[in-house]
Amino acid sequence: MIEFDHVTRTYGAKTAVSDLSLAIPRGELFALLGPNGAGKTTSIKILVGLLHPSRGTVRICGHDVVADPRAAHLHVAYVPDEPYLYDKLTGREFLQFIADMFGMPRHLARDRIDREVDCFELTEFLDDLAESYSLGMKQRLVFAAALLHDPDVLVLDEPMVGLDPRSVRIVKDLLAARTREGMTVFMSTHTLAMAEEMAERIGIMVRGKLRFLGTVMELREQFALEATSLEQLYLELTSPGGSKP
Amino acid sequence: MISRATPRSVGRLLSLDEESRLFFRLRITLAWETVGVMIAGARLRLSLVVLLSCLFWAALYGLFVEAFSFLDSLHADVVPLLFNAFFSSLMVMLVFSMAILLYSGLYCSAEARLLLTLPVRAEAIFAHKFHESMWFASWGFVLLGSPMLVAYGVVRESAWTYFVLILPFMLAFVTIPAAVGGIACMALVGWLPRLRLHALSLGITGAAIVVLWLGWSFMSQPRLDAMSAAWFDKTFARLAVTEQKLFPSWWLSSGLLEAARTDDDGRLVSPGLSEAVKFLALLVANALVLQLTATWLARAAYRKGYSHLAGEVPARRRHRAGWLDSLLLGSGTGVRRPLRLLLVKDLRIFRRDISQWSQFLIFFGLLGLYFVNLGSFNYHNTYASMIGFLNLAVVGLILSTFTTRFVYPMISMEGRRFWILGLLPVHRDQIVWSKFLFSFVGGLLPCAMLVLLSDSMLGLSWRLIAQHEYCCLLLCLGLSGIAVGLGAWMPELRESSPAKISAGFGGTLCLVLSSLFIMVVVVVAALPNHMFLLSRALGPTVIAPDGLLAWAGGPWGTALSLVIISAVALAATIAPLRTGLLAFRRLEV
Repeated sequence: MIEFDHVTRTYGAKTAVSDLSLAIPRGELFALLGPNGAGKTTSIKILVGLLHPSRGTVRICGHDVVADPRAAHLHVAYVPDEPYLYDKLTGREFLQFIADMFGMPRHLARDRIDREVDCFELTEFLDDLAESYSLGMKQRLVFAAALLHDPDVLVLDEPMVGLDPRSVRIVKDLLAARTREGMTVFMSTHTLAMAEEMAERIGIMVRGKLRFLGTVMELREQFALEATSLEQLYLELTSPGGSKP
Repeated sequence: MISRATPRSVGRLLSLDEESRLFFRLRITLAWETVGVMIAGARLRLSLVVLLSCLFWAALYGLFVEAFSFLDSLHADVVPLLFNAFFSSLMVMLVFSMAILLYSGLYCSAEARLLLTLPVRAEAIFAHKFHESMWFASWGFVLLGSPMLVAYGVVRESAWTYFVLILPFMLAFVTIPAAVGGIACMALVGWLPRLRLHALSLGITGAAIVVLWLGWSFMSQPRLDAMSAAWFDKTFARLAVTEQKLFPSWWLSSGLLEAARTDDDGRLVSPGLSEAVKFLALLVANALVLQLTATWLARAAYRKGYSHLAGEVPARRRHRAGWLDSLLLGSGTGVRRPLRLLLVKDLRIFRRDISQWSQFLIFFGLLGLYFVNLGSFNYHNTYASMIGFLNLAVVGLILSTFTTRFVYPMISMEGRRFWILGLLPVHRDQIVWSKFLFSFVGGLLPCAMLVLLSDSMLGLSWRLIAQHEYCCLLLCLGLSGIAVGLGAWMPELRESSPAKISAGFGGTLCLVLSSLFIMVVVVVAALPNHMFLLSRALGPTVIAPDGLLAWAGGPWGTALSLVIISAVALAATIAPLRTGLLAFRRLEV
């Protein structure tokens, strides 16, 4: 479903992502971890087509995101860490705009909007202008918009920022349900507990390189530290003179 | 290798028509909601802005009617020359303005980031941002150009077809420089991302060399009597560059002049209309070709350019304070230190914001060039004095565009940083005062120099120069007061684009009030001088030496006018500032 093939991205003399090769199949929830500046956001921006790789290719559902961005975008939805909404549109108008962008027929769009509104509990403020929303409300609306067209791939950059505990629970349950139905989730996060709880596999990036790829169990096995928490393993792996598996 | 899985997305790709319609609906909805919010929440403000805009339009219309009536009595070629000079300058400004607005809208906005992740064509995103930017860049042209063109038609007693054709002509014309600006912006970012700063530096250096060369050539030429036949010939020859037949501004001027033509009985001249339609067709055809070129370029280069730009690493700055920063920080006592710190912060932001200082340099540079050009003519006192006051008004109007575009949004732009300023031991008043000082001092220095240059070139007396400089001081005070006061009174803390803030509701009010203020100050200041010259020209047999007109042109009349403009300027400074300070103290973020 998602395929990074020897992807490198440079910023001037600095290499932000170095020779990243990664394949994530249908229905998997993958969490990308790493310290600030490790290359997580760059990888995500390459995946959603905002940045072009300096070398290598990225494919979503078989479509090259550089050569055929529209076909790739049809299958993907992106929830950034800083969501953008049109201030002078109401939540309902924004959802309708996104549904129209994906060419959804009116009746289907109406059904899907109702479904997401119920799911993310948006009814109370749905007809208010977005300029009056809090960060959490905006984040919930952006989640709803992202899921309207049943994307094959959902890309999340720090998805829980601004969400209250109830909304976090809703999102977690939803992600679990949708991945069971076949949606692939690519998530960047600093919340290790969430990665441990939800992700089937994790990737740990350090200075542009993928230092580890596998399950949390495999990570523990590689370090032969059964009782160690993910936090300790993460800190060990990402410290400047960190262990090498 | 992963096999292609069966897609589950229920979406489909839209046709280009569907995308265009969708963006059109979006713009209509956004405009409708914006107007709805204004009507629901700020009826008084809206009414005030509409009323003042109408007044401004009417005042401009009256001014242009007088001006065209006067010009008709001079030389037959003056109006075409003026049209060409006005529209060609406007064309250059629109190219720059669009390039800057599109750069910000296409490459730096959060909206572009959202749209680029949706299954929509790059050219459709470009078209959407292009139309939005074109509106922001050209509304000033509509406000200034429409009263001028209507006034011309009324003075020439043109047929109704002329008035009908004004709008299509303006639209077709504006599209051409707008598309050129868009093409330049995308080409520079898409193919020469690393060269764009060098290109800008080269452009500015080139412009500076041209300005110096032109200045030198004008200064070294013999002086001529203003309004004489030789003066007209010289002026026409100098401005002939604006009458190039390949310029869209020439097509626009010629088309409008042809459309306005009537016979002696005031009837429409058919050949004139057909010529006008041909010029309109030429403008429309070129506008369409350039739009197509821009669309093709957007398809080829927009996504690539966005990626290039997002991948650029800003140069690291060495930690050192500039000499001006050090001077500001080191001067005075600790009591006003927060104010100075805020000033230094704004100064640094101004220096590092290329869109601010480049426009500042271009506009004041062009004005300086024009003033240097004045030195190559001899003027009768009447003309010299009148031109001096008109130049003062132009300096004020240019400054007002800057105070509206850059100073008015300053308080709003603090919105996202308000958590820092709000927690500092700085009184909110000091934030407002720092913006006022920044605007006043920053505006006064170039404006005072330009007025001095203009008056010196016109050969005005020291008394008049002192009077003009005093007016300039008052203009800077009042314009800064209006921009900062209104900015603090109605801040838009949620908006991140200064262009949108200044083009919005409060920005329009700021521009309208600023223009009215300039007109009042310049007209009241010029009146005694005009009376003095009038009484001298007509003599005591027409103007009684002890009459009101003679008194108005004497020292007491001048003193009274100075008192009046001082009072107006104080009111224009204090009233908005006071309102703004009170509102800003009460502001809840």
